Amino acid sequence: MKDLPDEELFTAGHTACPGCGCPIMVRAAMKIFGPNTVCYFPANCLLVFGATYPQDAFKVPYLHVLFENSAVCASGIKRGLKKLGKGDVNVVAFAGDGGTADIGIQALSGAAERNEDIIYICYDNEAYMNTGIQRSGSTPHGAWTTTTPVGKKIAGKELYKKDVPRIMIAHDVPYVATASIGHPADMLRKLEKARDLKGFRYLQIFAPCPTGWRFDTAKTVQLAKMAVDCGLWTLYEAEDGKVTINKKPKMTPVKDYVKLQGRFRHMTDEQIDSLQEWANKKWERDSAMVIE
Amino acid sequence: MYEVRFHGRGGQGAVMAAQALASAAHIEGNYGVAFPFFGAERRGAPVLAFTRVDKDRIYTKTQIYEPDYVVILDDRLIELVNVAQGLKEIAVAVVNSQKKPEELDLGIPIKTGVVDATSVALEVLGAPITNSSILGAFAKTTGEVKIESIEGGIRDIFGHRIGEELGEKNAKAARAAYEKTEVGTCRGERKMEVKKQWLPTYKELPLGAATRPMQTDAGLVGPGSFIDNKTGSWRTFKPVYDKDKCNMCRFCWFYCPEGCIYDKKEEMVFDFDYCKGCGICANECPKEAIEMVRD
Repeated sequence: MKDLPDEELFTAGHTACPGCGCPIMVRAAMKIFGPNTVCYFPANCLLVFGATYPQDAFKVPYLHVLFENSAVCASGIKRGLKKLGKGDVNVVAFAGDGGTADIGIQALSGAAERNEDIIYICYDNEAYMNTGIQRSGSTPHGAWTTTTPVGKKIAGKELYKKDVPRIMIAHDVPYVATASIGHPADMLRKLEKARDLKGFRYLQIFAPCPTGWRFDTAKTVQLAKMAVDCGLWTLYEAEDGKVTINKKPKMTPVKDYVKLQGRFRHMTDEQIDSLQEWANKKWERDSAMVIE
Repeated sequence: MYEVRFHGRGGQGAVMAAQALASAAHIEGNYGVAFPFFGAERRGAPVLAFTRVDKDRIYTKTQIYEPDYVVILDDRLIELVNVAQGLKEIAVAVVNSQKKPEELDLGIPIKTGVVDATSVALEVLGAPITNSSILGAFAKTTGEVKIESIEGGIRDIFGHRIGEELGEKNAKAARAAYEKTEVGTCRGERKMEVKKQWLPTYKELPLGAATRPMQTDAGLVGPGSFIDNKTGSWRTFKPVYDKDKCNMCRFCWFYCPEGCIYDKKEEMVFDFDYCKGCGICANECPKEAIEMVRD
């Protein structure tokens, strides 16, 4: 972290909500990738707060086309640049979890299969926050969103979080990693590694959203750390399918993490137990991916 | 019929205030409609909401352009937004401010009610959410609705959305603000400017070309031009930095979502032009060298 350049390629003055986790990730990523970068955004918060015509916060070129085709457009940009003899330019797609896990997954899967030479970063805030907090495939069990309201019979989302990084590992791509803004050294190392490799690189970075999760704006980074500690988010990376766990979770009770957030306020002990059970299972599953 | 325009910030609850006012009017036997201005609002960015109240059924569905009352939930918005747009001489303003009515300049000298709703909200609710308190000030300044109806409207709308207990607390905040409101006349010396739009011709912006940063009538445009957008006015709390406790670990520099903490080698420097007062730096500082205080 000491060696990161001071120059900002993602400037101040963007209109993100106070305490947003996404710009923390984007600032760091842009510092790692440097000015020799072209970005692609599908519809997401980052596009709305960071790049609204005619003003924007990025000092590098970027493109916005549609929600579902981030991986397609990024592939096209890279191939175009290669034809122009600029193959050394980093092409980065920044998509939200909705644009990755639900709407963009067919384009993502296609680009991964073709092993396009791009970096795909999914910043995971566990719902469609830009359009006003709707549930996505990445929303955890029990969370309130506007489309999983708290009723008398059903309270919050019934289903569990979709594990997109494992889907990506199954595509046999050169690099897949999960990171969190709460663990900067780990995140920066993974971003650097992604920059230096060739082929399709997928990163999923956990970035809490104070507006959608209903917590105090100061606790963004604290919650990102807690999610890793309680096992709801595991930090691992897979190079050519070989999985390494970067941080073993302390398996602190999920309850501590849950009670800080308004989106889980309604949760009964039963629901918390089932989320805890899911966290335990997730760790078993993730640790089983490591082949000795 | 009377029409009200609310100027707030995303997250302050301008829309809920507009709804509670319509509900209060309904309690008194009138018809009321409330609706927001639709756009890409973020928490902290300037937003609009409207209420229209009449004795008869309301058939007008348009946005409000010439309001009778304008309610400003944050006095720093006066610097950013043309709050006087479409106001007539007989209009009345209700402002959340620590200043006196005579010290405010809305660009038109009109009757103005002022209350420090942020302090009231922090005292009664424990959070700087001023939508309920400002309605108490609205009742006192305009006399269009009774404070009892306002309390009823808040219990109805807030109670339904955030729970009865918090609804009751918000009704209390409205009553407290009602007692503290000062009414006077504001000044009207400022010239309100309408922000220009950047509309380039095809020669200035050829198809398929990327723009360079350019200074135009509408301000800076192009890559990195958000640097022109001073977001510092969004904050309620600000970080205070103690240089002696700092060990230059740069965690605050890394975690600042705005990138407005600079590393000057011997100390960290905070840029209050952009700081939104989220408090992540204070929460994450391992040496507790940063403290959040009311701005």
